[in-house]
Amino acid sequence: MSAHALGAEAGGAPSASASWPVELKDVTVRYPNGVVALKGVSVRIEPGEIVAVVGLSGSGKSTLIRTINGLVPVTEGTVTVGDHVVSELRGRALRELRGHVGMIFQAFNLADRASVFHNVLVGRFAHTPTWRTLIGAASPRDREVVMRALDSVGMLEKVWGRAGALSGGQKQRVAIARALSQEPSVMLADEPVASLDPPTAHSVMRDLERINQERGLTVLVNLHLMDLARQYTTRMIGLRQGELVYDGPAADATDADFEAIYGRPIQPRDRLDR
Amino acid sequence: MTATRLDVPARPRTWPRTVAIAGAIIVITLLTTLPALGGVEIDLGAIARNWGNGADRIAKLMRPDLSILPRTWQPLLETLEMALVAAAISAAFAIPLSLWAARPTNPNAPFRVAVRSVLNIIRAVPDLVYATILVAMVGVGALPGVITLVLFDLGIVVKLVSEAIDSADAAYIEAGRAAGGTQTQINRVTALPQTWPVFASQVLYSLELNVRVSAILGLVGAGGMGRLIDEVRGFYRYDALATIILELLVVVIAIEITSNVLRKRLR
Ligand SMILES: Nc1ncnc2c1ncn2[C@@H]1O[C@H](COP(=O)(O)OP(=O)(O)OP(=O)(O)O)[C@@H](O)[C@H]1O
Ligand SMILES: [Mg+2]
Repeated sequence: MSAHALGAEAGGAPSASASWPVELKDVTVRYPNGVVALKGVSVRIEPGEIVAVVGLSGSGKSTLIRTINGLVPVTEGTVTVGDHVVSELRGRALRELRGHVGMIFQAFNLADRASVFHNVLVGRFAHTPTWRTLIGAASPRDREVVMRALDSVGMLEKVWGRAGALSGGQKQRVAIARALSQEPSVMLADEPVASLDPPTAHSVMRDLERINQERGLTVLVNLHLMDLARQYTTRMIGLRQGELVYDGPAADATDADFEAIYGRPIQPRDRLDR
Repeated sequence: MTATRLDVPARPRTWPRTVAIAGAIIVITLLTTLPALGGVEIDLGAIARNWGNGADRIAKLMRPDLSILPRTWQPLLETLEMALVAAAISAAFAIPLSLWAARPTNPNAPFRVAVRSVLNIIRAVPDLVYATILVAMVGVGALPGVITLVLFDLGIVVKLVSEAIDSADAAYIEAGRAAGGTQTQINRVTALPQTWPVFASQVLYSLELNVRVSAILGLVGAGGMGRLIDEVRGFYRYDALATIILELLVVVIAIEITSNVLRKRLR
């Protein structure tokens, strides 16, 4: 599948920058409405690891992942990404850090009426001066990075189409290309396959796995399906009501471990392939 | 399969609310027309008494005098030019203003409130007031008319477009923020194309309104058809007035049809 060969490796194109570790130390997040979504969570993720974050709905998975790029500020504790302490960053420095951290969302978060090209160009923001974006002239290099990112997820032929005209799986691939065009050091994915049918879910998970293996990127992926966590990740972190209750190799996680994380017996809907 | 009875939750009762709202409307209407409270006086008798005065004017209006037509081309052209130029100028200003007036595209609250307040003030002043003041300031002609229309259009377009942005799903903006973009970058590359159809549709709408409004603005000397209307009315030439009104009607309908067609294509 040549269209699927990673652009970074083919043809001397820019490859991902070195991958970074992520460390949370005693992180507590209290939302303005008083909900405590994370309670004293400490965990260190080594560069190049692919880690699943599992837990029931409301257990704090999205909150945890959002503290890593500062979309959610921590109330107590520190989050360190590479050698940056996220909570100390403001303005330009925070934007610069976010430029090193790609993110994929459950709902894809594409601008449906904009072209695929412009949606992926979003990934170049942190590397582009605002004036250049404003006059609408992407630099040749930005263009090249965007095209290679789209090629690496097999979506290059749709580059001039509208994002809204794509299927769910295609949208998520474009969203992955958007994150890849950042040339990130860390990749975050918040329930990336929860809106997709099983075959598409598997192919998107394979894309993430490939990004991890071929580019050596640190990947954190929120999942609520235990079989996906076991199959595609090497390490699993379990959250229950905002607390870290499990941390171990994903392949070894037994049904009993999942029951302990979920705090209830395993149900058919906890698996993708029933 | 046994047909078990479904445990459907009781539907909430809404009729008491409906009755209360209808009652409130009736009471307020009655109160505002009570003369004792200084209410609006609705004297149906006056319509009957004055009917005779109006009748011969209406009779004249029914027999349009087409001989005025050649004299209408120039002012009509001016009206159309004013409408088009004003719509174009206001559109150029409305793009950044709409984005600054909506929450998803401008999270800076003081800035956003300032933009909105200025636009609320612009919208609150009636167009004839702008026209009258501007005619006094820059003189009789198309220029005060164009400036008036620009202000009028800005008020409408920015309000409608920014409200559309406020109510639309803005998840893509979060993605732009997560990628480290500045708000300006996010707005330029994603919010702008996302908002474009609404924007173009409102600008077309403002063009329609401009033709109607500019016909009135001429009454205070702000150029276009209005000046001619004022003149023929002054000479009680209701038959000529009828021709002008018919002409405007045709133009307005033509523009409306065109813009409806264009708007459908925008979707
Ligand atoms: N912006 C917010 N403001 C207030 N409370 C929030 C906010 N976001 C999340 N919460 C609350 O924080 C807790 C954790 O939410 P979070 O979204 O992190 O859970 P999750 O594990 O991602 O759940 P899901 O699987 O449903 O996405 C929940 O109780 C939720 O209601
Ligand atoms: Mg979530």
